[in-house]
Order: sequence, then C-alpha cells, then structure tokens
Amino acid sequence: MSVPILKQGDILIASIQSALSDQDLVELRDQLADRVGRLRARGVVIDVTALDVLDSFATRTIRGIAYTATLRGAATVVVGVQPEVAFAMVQLGLGLDGIATALDLEEGLALLHAGKVERALRK
Amino acid sequence: MINIGNQTPAQVLSQEMGLTEQAVERRKRISGLEPADLERISSIKNLVLAHTEEYTSVFFDHLSSLDEGRMVLANRALAERARQLKREHLAAMVQADYGTGYVTQRLELALLYSKAGLDLRVFLAAFHYLLKSIGSTVMKHFEAEPVVGFEAFMSLKKVAFFDIGIIVDALVFERERVIRQQQEAIRELSTPVLQIRERLLLLPIIGVIDTHRARLITESLLKAIRANRAKVVVMDITGVATIDSKVANHVIQTVTAARLMGATVIVTGLSAEVAQSLVVLGIDLAKLNTVGDLQGGLEEAEFLLGYRAASDPSGSFGAPAPRS
Repeated sequence: MSVPILKQGDILIASIQSALSDQDLVELRDQLADRVGRLRARGVVIDVTALDVLDSFATRTIRGIAYTATLRGAATVVVGVQPEVAFAMVQLGLGLDGIATALDLEEGLALLHAGKVERALRK
Repeated sequence: MINIGNQTPAQVLSQEMGLTEQAVERRKRISGLEPADLERISSIKNLVLAHTEEYTSVFFDHLSSLDEGRMVLANRALAERARQLKREHLAAMVQADYGTGYVTQRLELALLYSKAGLDLRVFLAAFHYLLKSIGSTVMKHFEAEPVVGFEAFMSLKKVAFFDIGIIVDALVFERERVIRQQQEAIRELSTPVLQIRERLLLLPIIGVIDTHRARLITESLLKAIRANRAKVVVMDITGVATIDSKVANHVIQTVTAARLMGATVIVTGLSAEVAQSLVVLGIDLAKLNTVGDLQGGLEEAEFLLGYRAASDPSGSFGAPAPRS
C-alpha cells in the first residue's frame, strides 16, 4: 500500500496509514525526495501514528528520508510515535538521532511553522 | 483470579501455593514415604488413635507453658478450633492416605496458626513434644521387639516431617503475603507523573531504580506524555542515592523514548556524588539535558514552553507564542 503525500502550503505531509512493507518504504523515500524538489517544499511531516511497529529498516529509512529532505532544503519532523513503539525502539537501540519529533501532526506543523526544527535538531 | 465463592480459605491457599496432586506426590517423595512405611503406620494405627486426646494435650500443654504460646491460646474460640483440628490431624496421620485432602487439612491448621500469630520455633518445639509422647507410647507397646517399634515410629516421623514441611511453607507463604502486598503498593506509588503546568510534567524519582522499575517509569511517563500532550518533562532524581552504569542507561533510555514522542526531558537533582560517579564510569551524558536542581529545571522548562517576560524576544521552543 502506497503512502499518500499531501501538500499543505509549502509543507508536505506523508501520512502512513497502515503497516508498510520494505518496498513501500523505499517508494515513499523516493517519492518524497522527488517532490520536495519539484514542489519546493520547506518542510516535511512524516506521520507514523497508525504504526504499532517500527523495525530497524523502517527507522533507517525514515532517518534517510529526513536527511535527504534536509539536504534538499526541507526540515523534517516525525510525528505520532506511540508510547509502545517508542519504548520498543529504545529497548532495541533504535533511535531517530538528529531528527525532530513531535507528539502529533498539529504539533509537528506548529514546529515547522515556527521555524524551530533546526533548534530541535540540535537538542 | 481464584474463585473464592465456594472454596474454603485452606483450599484457596493450597491453590495459591500450587499444591496440586503432583506437587503433593513430589513432597511425599522428598519425605521418603514408601509403601512399607504405610504398612508400618497401619500397624500402630489403633495405638495412636487410642491416645489422640493425650497427644493433643501434650501439644497444647507445651504451648501454654510458654509465654509465646499462651498469648496465642488467649483467644478461646481459636484455641478450641485448633484443638479440634489437631485431634483430626492425629487421626488422619495414621490413616496412611496423604493426598491433597490431607494437605488441605494441614493448611487449615496452618492458617489458624498464622492468624493466631504462632511463631514457627514455638510450633516446632510443641510438635516435638507431641512426637516424643507418641514415641514413648509406641516404644512401650513394642517393648518386646524394640526394632519393630522404632521402625514403625520412624515411618510415622516421615509423615510428621511431611506435615512440618507443609506447615512451615504455609506459614512463610502467609508471612510473605504481606511483603507481596507492600511491594505492590510501593510499585504503584513509585511512579507518579505529575502535571505542574499546561504541557509540563514532573517525574520525581525516589529510591532504587532496577530494570523492572525503570520499565514501569518509562511506560507511565510515555503514556502521560500522550495523555497530557506534554512538551517538556522535568525528571528529578534527587531521591536516587546512587547511580551505576545500569541505572544511568535506564535514565538515558527513558529520555530517548520521551524524545521520540516529541517531548524534551530535563534531568535535575544530580548530586555531587552521583555526578562524579557518572564521570568516573565514563557514561556519555551528552544526550541528557541536565540542570542542577529542581527549581532550575522548572525554570528551564518554563523557558522552553515560552513562559517568560514579554521583553525577551528570543525564540521559543515551538511552544505557544509568548503572551504579549
């Protein structure tokens, strides 16, 4: 199942709705990298609210998306990591180092609009 | 959960202690009870049955000769019931049938002792007097053939030790019940997550952090972050006396997990000793945002949330815009 990428002003929102295969994730990465440049996006929000598992591949891919988007000029925020997911990720030693996170979509958009992602990155 | 509706307390206890038929068989094997023993016991059955009243008196006389025992027997109804059960016990002891029914009977008596607050050492002493008096009647009866008498008595003694095993386990189990309940209570009390301002949580940690507790703390914090839509968490570890590398890792894990949910964690209250031991241990705390004391931590948190004098124009941390 592919991930819909919505455009909201100069921000792209990738809302993951169900468990993704590795192939889907790679597709999402390529599409986002493409659209960030084409639509001249300033920010990207990746919403993982619906995911109850984030394995090492997914974590690495999401990290890849964030770094790619940043290199192309768009700040990236990952939003909606569930408590259980966060706990499992920490247990497994997976992290999103250097990537801004926010509680939900609303928070993530606020973060981008306030232009504070760079600051969050340094934390 | 165990259904208490139509079960006696002793039956419930037997289930809680896991005294299934197999467990009882295992206990019999541990005591070394063999078919030959059962036969020997049958041979002295009538002898013991004829003296149950006497043996019961020996047991309770010894109890009442001691201060510790007298206190227990002060409750007349309880003492009467205990006597009754002891008579039944002696009768059952020579029936050569030691199944779950027999064990439940023992547990009923153990529960009574536990309720009366009978000390193990007092019980053991009284039980020894009882055995001694059984021994002397048996030996008197088998005066002509002391070896046979001794063997019969030793077989009965195996049953007696089988009983003691059950009684001791039950008394310890009952005593530890209090400990289990207290542990449960401590566990519940030990991980409060308090909201002290809109989007600001306080997590005071007191006492020892072990792996289990660290897990509970992390879980309740993550749930609270979502429930309260928290942005900043102040984690105060003033009450944690010592920190080793394991505990430090737990703290780091908690902080990392909270960050994944978009919350910033400020750690406060690292004492001089704790800070030094962390440095000595060589733990990288670069990921942690630490502030000296709780007051400083709360000030920092409020700063991040944008609570500040309107004259300060510098950026807020993605928080609601400062009130103008």
